[in-house]
Amino acid sequence: MSVLVARDLTRTYTLHGQPVEALRGVSLDVARGEYVAITGPSGCGKSTLLQLVGGIDVPTSGTVSMLGTRLDQLDDHELTRLRLHRIGFVFQRFHLLPVLTALENVELPMAEAGVPRRERLERAHELLRYVGLERRERHRATQLSGGEMQRVAIARALANRPAIILADEPTGELDAATGQEILALFRQLHADGTTLVVVTHDDRLAAEAGRVVRLLDGRVLG
Amino acid sequence: MSPLWGLRNLARHPLRTVLAVLGITVASALLLDMVLLAGGLERSFERLVLSRGYQIRVTPKGTLPFDTEATIGPVTPLVAAIRRDPDVVAAGPILAVALHARHADSLLPLVGYGVDPSGQGIYDLLEGSDLGAADSAGLLVGRTAAEALGLSVGDSVRLVGRLDPQVATMGVERRMVVRGVVRWLYDDRTMRSVGALLPVMQRFGWHAGNDRASLLMVRARADSLAGGVVARLREAHPEVGVNSVTDLVGQFRERISYFRQVSVILGTISLAVTVLLIATILTITVNERLGEIATLRALGVARRTVVTQVLVEGAALTLAGGALGVLLGLGTARYLDTILTAFPGLPASISFFVPQPQGLLTAAVLLLVTGTLAGAWPAWVAARAPIAATLRGEAP
Repeated sequence: MSVLVARDLTRTYTLHGQPVEALRGVSLDVARGEYVAITGPSGCGKSTLLQLVGGIDVPTSGTVSMLGTRLDQLDDHELTRLRLHRIGFVFQRFHLLPVLTALENVELPMAEAGVPRRERLERAHELLRYVGLERRERHRATQLSGGEMQRVAIARALANRPAIILADEPTGELDAATGQEILALFRQLHADGTTLVVVTHDDRLAAEAGRVVRLLDGRVLG
Repeated sequence: MSPLWGLRNLARHPLRTVLAVLGITVASALLLDMVLLAGGLERSFERLVLSRGYQIRVTPKGTLPFDTEATIGPVTPLVAAIRRDPDVVAAGPILAVALHARHADSLLPLVGYGVDPSGQGIYDLLEGSDLGAADSAGLLVGRTAAEALGLSVGDSVRLVGRLDPQVATMGVERRMVVRGVVRWLYDDRTMRSVGALLPVMQRFGWHAGNDRASLLMVRARADSLAGGVVARLREAHPEVGVNSVTDLVGQFRERISYFRQVSVILGTISLAVTVLLIATILTITVNERLGEIATLRALGVARRTVVTQVLVEGAALTLAGGALGVLLGLGTARYLDTILTAFPGLPASISFFVPQPQGLLTAAVLLLVTGTLAGAWPAWVAARAPIAATLRGEAP
């Protein structure tokens, strides 16, 4: 069964008064448990595709369905709830809240989902153990290294047991050695049955994926 | 999501937060002072004129108590008639005269009150004893007069009345014995006042044999009965002015209406300053955090939650500034009160800034509501920020 189905997606921006076609009719199916890498040169539309399928941007045309639900048929509240419960985001620049500790960052999506405090604390501890940061959970985001921040971000993405993890250049801000740690973590996530869609420039990361989708100038190659 | 994020954001820029709180403190102190001032003088005046329970004043027609040198009389039958009213429990005349006391080799000017101790509402006894009904040599002195003349209970002093400075003649002089030290309720801080029985003081003034008084103070059995007594007295004695405390407060309110206007204008300005200050601070902090807010929205945090977080920041700033503002406002009010009540002619016991639970509550609610709402615009901006564009760094 497909977790994600995107059909004929186009996205046109207006930049400095000029229209920019970021996507020109992209379709993508992702099955449950699949590990898909989206690659391509800078500006080919990889991140835009991820944002459209993640429901944080709206396509100019085309449709996205998540677990059979058409995103364009949801209002803002419903779409927000879908992102909260069904999608886990991992960003290139981590985007942790700097004023919160690692534990609080992981707790945050569960708190928003109304998970009781005790339960979400247990789960946050468990997730930080899973990403190997059980000793750093009381540290603020600003006190963590880049690799540690990305691992906290992955733990946060897993918090509400989403149907799919969407990662945008998760190793883009990390050195090679730290990137390897994240690579290993994604391998483990996949092995544990998590559905992954990863946008990357990193050939090593792409090589780990079960399927690679290559974009060029807003279109899927091949 | 707990308010933790919003509150901890305030700690990101401690200097900015401290300056904002100080700004709100000053603005809320001004608001509080204006709320206290708006009705303070009026409430203080009402408290003063009711301090001994006398709800009615009888004065020369068309005047307010001690407003002019006009007198009413003959006062003895008038007092007797008023006391016959079944709802009146006490009535007493008061006469104010100018007199002098011999002190060393000079004459010290004094204010003299002629009173009937069985029905007086203008002094509180502090030391010694009150005047007896036939104590024609007895004298009550206020603290200021006692200090100026070096008098204490049991001392004697020579009082001089009907002094004509143009021809330097003295109409009457007699030795009086201090029976008690009192607080004259309507005196300002500089007034040196003494009191004696009404007939004695009439002889010191220009009223000998005329049975005159400056006013009468009347106490009804209950406040609710005062209106009826006033109506009956007006009908029975149309030659004098009869006013209840409510009437006097009304007339006083008209005279000081500019205080209320000034306080409303300044209070509104202070509220506006608070709103602008909080809105500015929150707009800056929200603009700095648009990326974080877009992240929160991407993670599935509802707009309502984001708005709540920003409003919590506004409320926290308001609460902190408001709490300090109460302390500053009360301190400022006390200081201003000492300056304003030092004006000659104002009773020392009157106050311009009177804390009232309802006034304080009004100021607190106004401040909290407006302070929190000041965050509404930045909160709305934060919640509406386009997620993808903001994350891409394309947001304005």
